[in-house]
Amino acid sequence: MIKGLTIRRKQSRTDQSLPILLLLPALIVLLVVQFFPAFYTIWLSLQERFPTGWQFVGLDNYRLLVNTSLFKESIGHTIVFLVGYIVLTLSLGFVLASILNTRLRLSGFYLALLFIPWTLADILVGMVFRLLVYPDYGILSGILGNPALFPPKGLSVLTAARPAPLFGSFPFPPAPAMVYLILASSWRALPFITLLLLASLQTISQEIIESARIDGANTWGIARHITIPLIFPTLVVALFNLILTGVNSVGMVFSLTAGGPGTATFVMSYLLYNLGWERLRFGQAAALAVMMALVNWALIGGTMRVTRVDERTA
Amino acid sequence: MNAHGKSGLMWLAVSLMIVLALVLSACAPAATPAPSQPTQAPAQPTPAPEAKVFATWYQFDQENTDPASDEAVGNAWLRENMAKFNEAFAGKYKWVNTPKAWDKMDAELIAAVQAGGEVPDIIQITDFKIPMHAKNGSLQDLRAWAEAQPWYAGMDPQALKTCTGPDGGLYCIPFAEIPYVVFVWADLFPNDYPKTIDQFLTEAERLKGEGRYIMTYFGSTDKGGSGATRGVWTVISSFGGTYDDGKGNMLLNTPENIAAIEFLRTLTVKGYVPEVTFAGGFQEEEAFKDSSAASIPTALFGYRYLRPLTAPDGTKYETMTEQDMLKAIEDGKVVLRPFAAPEGKKPSGGLSARGVGIPKGAKNREAAEAFINWVLTHSDIAADYALRGESGLPVLFAAYDQPQFQGKLHQQAKAVVQASALRSWRGSLERTAEAQMIIMNAVYKLVKEDVTADIPTVLKQAEDEYNAGK
Amino acid sequence: MVRTLSLSPKTWRSIFLNGFMVTFLLVAMLPIFLTIIISFKSHKDIIRKPPVIFPCDTPASAFDLRACRWSVEGYERVLVPKLTNSFPLIQLTGRMFRIYIPNTLLYALSTAIGVTVMAGMAGFALSRFRFGLRRALMIAVLSITGVPLLTNLLALYQLGVTLRKTPIPFNDRAYLIFVYFGFYLPLSIWIAKGFFDTIPRDLEEAAMIDGATPLGALRHVTMPAALPGLAAIFLMTFVNVWNEFLAGYLLVTKNELKPVMFGLYEFLGPNIINFQMIAASCILIALPVVIIFQVARRYFFMAMVEGAIKG
Repeated sequence: MIKGLTIRRKQSRTDQSLPILLLLPALIVLLVVQFFPAFYTIWLSLQERFPTGWQFVGLDNYRLLVNTSLFKESIGHTIVFLVGYIVLTLSLGFVLASILNTRLRLSGFYLALLFIPWTLADILVGMVFRLLVYPDYGILSGILGNPALFPPKGLSVLTAARPAPLFGSFPFPPAPAMVYLILASSWRALPFITLLLLASLQTISQEIIESARIDGANTWGIARHITIPLIFPTLVVALFNLILTGVNSVGMVFSLTAGGPGTATFVMSYLLYNLGWERLRFGQAAALAVMMALVNWALIGGTMRVTRVDERTA
Repeated sequence: MNAHGKSGLMWLAVSLMIVLALVLSACAPAATPAPSQPTQAPAQPTPAPEAKVFATWYQFDQENTDPASDEAVGNAWLRENMAKFNEAFAGKYKWVNTPKAWDKMDAELIAAVQAGGEVPDIIQITDFKIPMHAKNGSLQDLRAWAEAQPWYAGMDPQALKTCTGPDGGLYCIPFAEIPYVVFVWADLFPNDYPKTIDQFLTEAERLKGEGRYIMTYFGSTDKGGSGATRGVWTVISSFGGTYDDGKGNMLLNTPENIAAIEFLRTLTVKGYVPEVTFAGGFQEEEAFKDSSAASIPTALFGYRYLRPLTAPDGTKYETMTEQDMLKAIEDGKVVLRPFAAPEGKKPSGGLSARGVGIPKGAKNREAAEAFINWVLTHSDIAADYALRGESGLPVLFAAYDQPQFQGKLHQQAKAVVQASALRSWRGSLERTAEAQMIIMNAVYKLVKEDVTADIPTVLKQAEDEYNAGK
Repeated sequence: MVRTLSLSPKTWRSIFLNGFMVTFLLVAMLPIFLTIIISFKSHKDIIRKPPVIFPCDTPASAFDLRACRWSVEGYERVLVPKLTNSFPLIQLTGRMFRIYIPNTLLYALSTAIGVTVMAGMAGFALSRFRFGLRRALMIAVLSITGVPLLTNLLALYQLGVTLRKTPIPFNDRAYLIFVYFGFYLPLSIWIAKGFFDTIPRDLEEAAMIDGATPLGALRHVTMPAALPGLAAIFLMTFVNVWNEFLAGYLLVTKNELKPVMFGLYEFLGPNIINFQMIAASCILIALPVVIIFQVARRYFFMAMVEGAIKG
């Protein structure tokens, strides 16, 4: 016992080097794959490719990018997508988690089924959802195209134009394709969010809730004054997780709409792909990546504050 | 015990490291033998082992023997010609093809050349990709070599010109010329396909009354804006419009273009084109296939993909191969026509040369040259290349006389070429990939998304964006 | 009879909640259900206009179970089975099973093994030792947990470009696996550390007092206790790599080395409507992952919640 304790208290030189040795492989990988790209992307955003090679062009890439109509548009699309995706997923997730938390006898079965979408690749989900509403031939387009249900002409999800914007050029209300993209994305993210909230709800003791009920609180009152404050940190984690995946996921757009119809679902992540690998404008793509990375880092910083990481790393 | 504790953990750490090293090294040898040798297809005789690999990128897949596959014609052509080539050059070259997506191939090549990645010895090329390759330095200039070849004098000079980059280099060898034509269901036009725009609109109204659409076209922004090179270009060029100012700048805001877009807009607003026109994924073709749309402006190679077919009178062509369209044309159900044009203008449409280029860094240029010579010194092979490899008209004059170009399809195609002033959409534009995306986004916006938007404003915005991009 | 009507409020609540869940799940499972149906249709029924949901209609009636035209055409065209004379007698010659799935298996297994080992080592070090840079390292690892692959891809792509030009032997597969390591390590380290933290050190020490060597203690006490955590990391990494598309698509130049999601994406290119093929390949690709998840659900839930709340 005493000898065991000395391992912890007295730190000999081997004790100092062993953990570093254990950490070394992971650190090397992370340096190359995670830290290096951050700096390289910044460098790249200041360069432009000429037949002779890369040349420093200052902030030209940022200027060109910000001046394109597609960039401005994509910010609007990203915001619309995010708001829809987050509101839908969080609220549904909360309702489902609350129901599952009442410990229905079949909860396990429900969870098993509910979980399937999360295990599917985003590009695959996009393809499946695309198949369903393919104009004319999609299995659901017969129903959607019924003028009685969707006046006046029926709904063709992947081609219908977006309605006239209400606020200047901000793309709201969104095109049906955007709504559909949100639905598909939420469908896939819902299981994870539900599970996260469920795990957090399960830590709240039933006694508190029971006593509140005895005191005459109704379901909404309990949710508002007890449940939500208690699971607030988890809600924030879920929120940030949704924003991060929402801003950066491109697979679904790739296979579901490819940015279309027109540019109605051209979100920033897809613009990044488009600039880099379709137009081969890597400098501009890097400029966009830098801007997006800033958003990401702000979000991660926020999550770390809320979950009080400092206490956990002790 | 203390020392033991440390050495034990140390031992664990070291063993974990070894496991890791093993895992890492396990991936490397697994990687060296490529799991697939595309040459193992049964149809090919195995050439002598010392044969040097001759690598190509085609949009066809020699291993796909599915007759219903959409590239079945090209696949079969490639398979058979690979066998022929390998036989002709047995012991010397072995043709190995990697299928690549047609709309991603060029970007992939440029990336591979810049990345020092694997590049083929021959890549299938469409002429309007040439400036992009010239700018990125991804293809070899073949002028000096080509001019010294015996077949050079027998080639259509017009097509050779389209393979020329802005710097005068010859970056591809054209094997086929693809005219853009209009496929028409003949029975739906008792007075023949309209020649003027006014007639076109009258006929459109009549067909609408019969529950049909006069036309369908690639109207979506899908496939990197490829629509700008197809039906949209047919309309714009028939109105006398262009995409450029002749000096490398994009110029869209012209009276001709505005008139053309107003025409396209009318088609949408009045319901003369079906909704699938804007669906992407080549869905627009479906409306022609079941004859709910009476015509489709597209490239001559469309005949391979437009299947199965149902004629307006209910006749079905359902072999699910290119024979469907050939039979329909033979029966006179489908005819090829030039597009309509405003009074006093000659109808137009796209004209593109398709052929091959030799990428920079190709390992076996010698084989690539041997291949080009092999095709162009055998008029039957050249004809087959133009017919099944690219579905166009041959560039080599000698191949014109081959029997396969005497059928109705090609005779009508030749008539369309003569009756119209076909030209490439590219003009003097250099960043064609970017250009077609920008153009198609603008056209889509004006024609489909917002039919009240001010046409000159949107066109001006699009051209400014392209021109600002250096 | 009367009694059944006077159910207690609690029972009513349970009926209502179960009813809600069942309805919700029916709607939520609809896309999967429809995809399965599509995958068993023949081409003739795929290109019907207007579309029919079940290929079971006859001129006489809209739905006749005996007239259903189910077909495995889609699966056949994805797998392209060919008879051979040698052992398995049947060979799947479709690209999907000949090239892409073996590739993905290699990538997913190598990544999962590597990540599990490295995360295990790192997690153990962070959990069991107190050393100078520990805190800084932990915050660093934690902060990159959320960094998405997308914004790093440009640089990793260009890094691949540069490396291919150097004399250092470059291997597409090894590079992709290395990138996957870096992408899935941060979360895994964090999960591993969490699991090691839950194993009381006193347990090891007690075992040592009972005469076990430190290595023995590690093997018999710490490792078994940490095993569920490591298994969770392994499975999660495996599934993540299996489902990854963009990096596999962009960082690998040769088609023969590309992963299965690229194979799926390839189906979007052709211009003939082949819904039955797309649906069939979606199901074939998703099935292994869905099965793994259902079998090992407990581990996933543990790891996911653990990882998400902390990261």
